[in-house]
Amino acid sequence: MISRHRRSRLAATLAATTASLLVLAGCASGSGSSDAGPDANAEIIVGSQNEPTNLDQIFGGSSGVTEVFTGNVYEGLFRITDDAEVEPLLAKETEVSDDGLTYTFTLEDATFHSGDPLTAEAVKYSLERFIGDDSIAARKSQLSVIDTVTAVDDTTVEVQLSAKSISFTYNLGYVWIVNPEAGDLTAAADGTGPYALGDYRKGDSITLDVNEDYWGDAPANGGVVYQYYADPTALNNALITGAVDLVTSQSNPDSLSEFESGDYEIIEGTSTTKELLAFNDRVAPFDDVNVRKAVYSAIDREQLLDAIWDGRGQLIGSMVPPSEPWYLDLADNNPYDPELAADLLAEAGYADGFEFTIDTPESGVHSTVAEFLQTELAKIGVTVDINIITDDQWYEKVYTDHDFEATLQGHVNDRDINFYGDSDFYWGYDDADVQTWLADAEQADSVEQQTELITRVNQKISDDAASVWLYLNPQLRIARDGITGVPENGLNSLFYVYGIQEA
Amino acid sequence: MLLLAFALAVVILFVVLRLLGNPVFALISVGATEQEIAAAAARLGVDRPIPVQFLDYVVQLARLDLGTSFTNNLPVGDEILRRLNVTLPLTLLAFLLSVVIAVPVGFIAAWRSRTWYGTAFSAVSQLGGAIPVFWVGILLVTALALNARLFPAGGFPRSDWEDPGAAIFALTLPVLTIAIVSGSDLARYVRSATLDVLGQQYLRAARATGQSFAGAFVRHGIRNGIVPVISILAIQLSTTFVGAVIVERVFALPGLGDMLLVGIQEQDFPSVQGVLLFSTTLVLLLGFVADVIQRLIDPRLRASVSGNRMARAAA
Repeated sequence: MISRHRRSRLAATLAATTASLLVLAGCASGSGSSDAGPDANAEIIVGSQNEPTNLDQIFGGSSGVTEVFTGNVYEGLFRITDDAEVEPLLAKETEVSDDGLTYTFTLEDATFHSGDPLTAEAVKYSLERFIGDDSIAARKSQLSVIDTVTAVDDTTVEVQLSAKSISFTYNLGYVWIVNPEAGDLTAAADGTGPYALGDYRKGDSITLDVNEDYWGDAPANGGVVYQYYADPTALNNALITGAVDLVTSQSNPDSLSEFESGDYEIIEGTSTTKELLAFNDRVAPFDDVNVRKAVYSAIDREQLLDAIWDGRGQLIGSMVPPSEPWYLDLADNNPYDPELAADLLAEAGYADGFEFTIDTPESGVHSTVAEFLQTELAKIGVTVDINIITDDQWYEKVYTDHDFEATLQGHVNDRDINFYGDSDFYWGYDDADVQTWLADAEQADSVEQQTELITRVNQKISDDAASVWLYLNPQLRIARDGITGVPENGLNSLFYVYGIQEA
Repeated sequence: MLLLAFALAVVILFVVLRLLGNPVFALISVGATEQEIAAAAARLGVDRPIPVQFLDYVVQLARLDLGTSFTNNLPVGDEILRRLNVTLPLTLLAFLLSVVIAVPVGFIAAWRSRTWYGTAFSAVSQLGGAIPVFWVGILLVTALALNARLFPAGGFPRSDWEDPGAAIFALTLPVLTIAIVSGSDLARYVRSATLDVLGQQYLRAARATGQSFAGAFVRHGIRNGIVPVISILAIQLSTTFVGAVIVERVFALPGLGDMLLVGIQEQDFPSVQGVLLFSTTLVLLLGFVADVIQRLIDPRLRASVSGNRMARAAA
């Protein structure tokens, strides 16, 4: 019996060796590439839950549109790297006048996917389109500092600003340069990036084909498909069965254990998504700093982060994640201390507690967070009512009408501390110092000066507990073994795919 | 009747959707100003009074135009046709399979109702009809896709039907899922219809004239028993179509159901209206065709206007 078993194992080994030799031989003769090297022609299939509502960033394409198009299909004058640095992209050279109001850009020699050359006129069209009346683009108000755009000659663009703007080039990193001849871009695309839009199947997938005439370095893969899944379980199943090569953002830490084997790599980077309990700072009792600080100190955020993200992610004490220049470690500025919380409440005249409602968007983890807050605040005598609303209702009731006491929201944008300088913003934080510092920071002469001023803002809003910054989401991506070059960080959903390769 | 129902559907749909909320709030993101919100509303045309919007919509419908999507400006009609590439084969294949399962199972459960396997068949059909369709889907995915790796866990080929083999392969589990549930349902109806016929005097009379059981059943039994089953079939085909909505989500299929759910989420009224009007029309037409077929088979229905209602009541 034993010898027979051995013999059959020997035969199996022989067969396997022969087979693998054949496969190796096939590889060597077939593609000519070295046997273990990356395959530059491999198509990468990216699984995502974040399908854009349409393909144009100025018509509410949502963060899903950034994930697919920015840097991949469309390029800006500048690029924001995965480490949040600004580097030139389509603007080969930049000259800034001494007063900081005139920017002159010299363009790269690039062509659009349709074959039209990149011209100064196209840049003018793209910038004007972004801040035009029809646009609801996310950074429109910051870029509205643009006064005029002039095409000096075919490759030179001059932009006149109405006020100095130190983050101008950073913000330009998000503005696509599009071909004016392309027309409606809600279901089509024409950019200068390393990929051209191949196929758009709403509800299913977006296919990007390699742009053979790309002006820069060719991508490391042979094309990318974004495959969309509405149901997180379906997305997980797709990864397990090999239908997708990687997942851009794992939103459910419970299922991570399935991918902790050697067959997958879990890539943890930092995101810019901050989970906030935002008060309406205009209305009682949240117009009182002590009440806000009391609520902050009553919440065991470490336990919350553990419950939601299984220990991943990070505690923050303000609106600023570590990836931004004005970061301070403020995680303990409003420490978890129920006794302190009770004292602060008593000081504010609410020794017996009070009752308030949290308008909670139904999406994501907000309702779980709300229930946790309910339990925590009950311990200091504060009663929380949870009102579940849809995301659209949130935009109507909370964001536009300011008809709320407190709400939960995940703020995804990078460098969005400036919302605290706008007293009309939904949370209505109104502090003259903060407003001056933020305005001055934008007018600053140097990045150092800008950083110094915003750091002050950072400290102040944290001291005031303008909102409760519960935690910073981790950016979790999962790639199957053999996929490399996946961007780590989730800076406002940017996801450059040109470096991803399959071994 | 058909036209009236259709008109009613148009009005109700239009009004109810507008009560749900303002689609602009599904488009904007944090940072949008009031002017931007107003401009977006103007672009979509939802800042106009509802009667004006409605009139506009009716004129458009009269030209057989379902309009363009609020979110990506694509014609809703084209989008529906593209989605039908998935939903139509899914529905029809599932329906055919469920009939293939249900007729023999239901017949045997009735004909041999006193044997152990007859009882087993009716028990299984009761059980199959009681399980929610998404649960069947999850079970099949776990067993046949995640563990046995025989079928894909979801998705549909991006090349659509260019490679019919791959398309059928992708639809196998979803079709099976729907067929199990709606086949079980249907089997119970077939069983009760068969039991009904088997107990009838005319069948005994036919046997008394010397016909074999099979001959008598085929000649007299089926023709009588099938009349109520046909209206059930029409209803079942409609529910299969509607049931595809849930199954499409479980299996990540880009069909009409997915279009409807995403449309509701994005408050894309033209898409939601388009899909629902299309489904309504389909259901109305199926009911109509079923009525016609019943009349062709059963002369009694041709004689009386209310006969159709009686047949339904009998079912």
